[in-house]
Amino acid sequence: MELLQCTQLQKTYGRGAAAVHALNGVDLTVEHGEFTAIVGASGSGKSTLLHILAGVDKPTGGTVLVDGVDVGRLDPTRAALFRRRKVGLVYQFFNLIPTLTVEQNILMPLLLDKRRPDPDELRRLVSALGLQDKLQALPGQLSGGQQQRTAIARALCYRPALLLADEPTGNLDRKNSGEILDLLLLCHRSLGQTILLVTHDERLAAQAERVITLSDGRIVSDRRRG
Amino acid sequence: MWKLYSRSYLAHNRATRRSITAAALAAAFFLSLVGSLFYNFWVYEIERITLEEGGWQGRVTVEQSGAALDETLDALARFANVDTAALNTGLSENGVAVIDLTFRDLGDAYADLDRIREALELPDEAVQAHELLLSRYLVNDPQDSSPSLLMPFYLAVLGAVALALVLLIRNSFAITMQARLHQLGILASVGATPRQLRLCLLQEAAALALLPLALGTALGLAACSGVLAALNAAAAHVAGRHTAVFQMHPLLVAAILLLSLLTVLFSAWLPARRLSRMTPLEALRDGAAESPALRWKRRRHARLLALCFGIRGELAGNALRAQKRSLRIANVSLLLSFLGFTAMLCFFTLSGISTQMTYFARYQDAWDVMATVPGASLDDFSLTEPLRALPGVEDCTVYEKAQAQCFLPAGAQSDALQALGGLGALDGSAVPLDGGWLVDAPIVVLDDASFLAYCEACGIEPALDGAVLLDRVWDSLHSHFRDPLYLPFVQPGTEALTLAGDGGAALGDLPLLGRTGGPPNLREEYDDYALVLFWPQSLWQELGAAWGLAPAGAATRLTVRLLGRDGITQEECRALQTAAAALLEEGGYACTIENRIDEKIANDEMITGAQLILGAFCLLLAAIGLANVFLNTRGFVHQRRREFARYLSLGMTPAELRSLFWIEGAVVAGRPLVVTLPLTAAVVAFMLDASHLEAEIFLAQAPVLPVALFAALIVGTVALAYGLGARELLTGDLTAVLKDDSLR
Repeated sequence: MELLQCTQLQKTYGRGAAAVHALNGVDLTVEHGEFTAIVGASGSGKSTLLHILAGVDKPTGGTVLVDGVDVGRLDPTRAALFRRRKVGLVYQFFNLIPTLTVEQNILMPLLLDKRRPDPDELRRLVSALGLQDKLQALPGQLSGGQQQRTAIARALCYRPALLLADEPTGNLDRKNSGEILDLLLLCHRSLGQTILLVTHDERLAAQAERVITLSDGRIVSDRRRG
Repeated sequence: MWKLYSRSYLAHNRATRRSITAAALAAAFFLSLVGSLFYNFWVYEIERITLEEGGWQGRVTVEQSGAALDETLDALARFANVDTAALNTGLSENGVAVIDLTFRDLGDAYADLDRIREALELPDEAVQAHELLLSRYLVNDPQDSSPSLLMPFYLAVLGAVALALVLLIRNSFAITMQARLHQLGILASVGATPRQLRLCLLQEAAALALLPLALGTALGLAACSGVLAALNAAAAHVAGRHTAVFQMHPLLVAAILLLSLLTVLFSAWLPARRLSRMTPLEALRDGAAESPALRWKRRRHARLLALCFGIRGELAGNALRAQKRSLRIANVSLLLSFLGFTAMLCFFTLSGISTQMTYFARYQDAWDVMATVPGASLDDFSLTEPLRALPGVEDCTVYEKAQAQCFLPAGAQSDALQALGGLGALDGSAVPLDGGWLVDAPIVVLDDASFLAYCEACGIEPALDGAVLLDRVWDSLHSHFRDPLYLPFVQPGTEALTLAGDGGAALGDLPLLGRTGGPPNLREEYDDYALVLFWPQSLWQELGAAWGLAPAGAATRLTVRLLGRDGITQEECRALQTAAAALLEEGGYACTIENRIDEKIANDEMITGAQLILGAFCLLLAAIGLANVFLNTRGFVHQRRREFARYLSLGMTPAELRSLFWIEGAVVAGRPLVVTLPLTAAVVAFMLDASHLEAEIFLAQAPVLPVALFAALIVGTVALAYGLGARELLTGDLTAVLKDDSLR
């Protein structure tokens, strides 16, 4: 069953002779429970695609449906609610809020909705991510790996339909990169989480079920493992 | 570096440019305004003293004339620090010469006057310093244990305001510079030397701030001139006041410009110094960490805000904590200005109510014109009847006051007073004597006609061979001063009182015509525990001198009280005053004369003037605070983009993002209100209780409107600052921040 469907997705910056086509007619479908990696050279349009899927940016052409929602047509408020409830975003530089504790950072999407977190669910999540002893710490007191695990926990706490990760290991050493990858795989396998991972790390991409290669804003290859 | 980097940086960072320019302009404006106002008030004060008392700084009085006097003048002129020694012809007479001195170095004036006294072998009282004038130059008598603190106080206020303004510029720089640390780190990493970076920052600061500093200083001077013109216009009708002329000393302008410029350069130099102590890598990392306050290592809570607004309250509270240093001036200025304004108005309202109740309302029907004639006494005063015959005079009383004591045996106290325990139970300072009390007995001597009329009004057989006793004592055990209960002081059958001199020695028995509970209709306060006696003029002539009774105060003084018709107008009152003054002058009496309506107007104007000056100071303080809020919100537009982009990526809606601003703005604007209102209410409640005023009376006149307007000014301006900041921040493309790593 399709979770994500992009049709002739376009994103152009600038006009006329100065126009830059970051995405140039991307057609992409992702099924529920798939773990997909998007790879490509720098400037190939992979981060732009991810931001459009997350509702952070708007396409200049084409449509993008996520869980039945036409993301490109959402007004700013609906786009924000979509980001809060439907997708989880993990960035290279973590984007944690330095003034809030780890627990508050993780629960942020729920708190914005004034929802009470389920304590058992939270306990399971932080235990799985190895953060149970760090809940009251501030992001500045954590290592890079711990901060990224916090970011993943935050992305997962709302049980989003789609987890989007933008170079999640780009700012980490080899050991921590391995741990993060293992966590993503665990989420995918045990929870059936749909994951779309943007990376230029071939080793990381090789762990995904499906690898899509972008070049100059177009999909140039779409390979499934096995 | 300037050509290579700074020019393009400034060209592409309008927000930074505007923020620094605005800070420099605002600080120079306020610094110039406050500095020039202070200078002009100081010059005005010197002019006023010089006009009223003369411009002499020291004065020597010698009983000399002719050659001896010339010799003394020469001797004085030879003192190294004496600038001029001139004979004051106006004050010199009958062989007594008054010589006015001015000094080259005022700081040594007192020491030099001592030297002059010793050299010329003059007595202490012959050498005098102009203490008031010298104190305005901060020169005080070293022997004076309590010198005038007015000038030090003004200077302290000026210093505090200048410091606040200096910090205003520094904060603005600190905000923008922190945002650039990352870029400067990049420059350092590619080989820029610390000296190059320092020079680059100083050049930028000078380039951005020079013009606004000059403009702000000029605007401040213009505003000062405007303030003086407004004050002159407002006080145009005040008789005897000399007009304030706007004056500017070039040194003051130079000092203002120099102080502002040094602050700007120092503020720019600080991040450069910080940078030179870091490795380029540290600078890159540090710059990526947004603001230093956000690199928290300790957990903090905005509990109240979190309770009210949930996670948004927590985020807003944390952001406010992060801006604590940069908002400090705003917080302190706004709190002090609102607290000062509210407290001042409440105090003036309370004081006004009290004055109205204890003076203007109380004596409204007691007098219209009062003349005080020093040195005169009823014995030789011949104008009582002519004054009474002046057109428009309904009632005229001429009186003088004397002081005596009275021996009151314990048994002579009224039964009611004895039942309370006697005079000692009410008056802790009562003097016991021979089983009774030695009681103060103030004497009011009325002209005979007024005395007879008073007797008649009291229901006492009119006669001139005895006194009338104000037979009342305040029952302080069962009533307060605002609403006193009185008891009879003496036994009902008391027909005479024994007056006593110093030490309680009996002078003689004073016959009483009668006792009364109400004094005559005069503008006088009577002691609560004294036996006040009203004497006719005839009796005073007979017994006063014989018993050696002394006038109240140092010397005899006659008071003329004139009452016009009910509802007398200001013009009628003034006409009566003029006529009475002319009559007294014709009779050869030097007097001071006043009328009730003008006195009330003068009192009201004085209070309004004081309120205006203090209110203007509060407004100035608020303006500095609000300028800080504006500069801060302008500064954070650049700095907080990443913070808000992060919230956006987490699914915070635009309305929720805006609400963060509103919460922050509400805290900044609400803090002074939340602190001030309960505090003022408590202080007012305490003062109401202490002064036994009813709350309803205060509430009916409470300064609700001006306080509400001041609060609205603060709230409205802070809302505008945050609204503009929010609009600029939220209408920008925040998603670009998430994609652009160079902004980290």
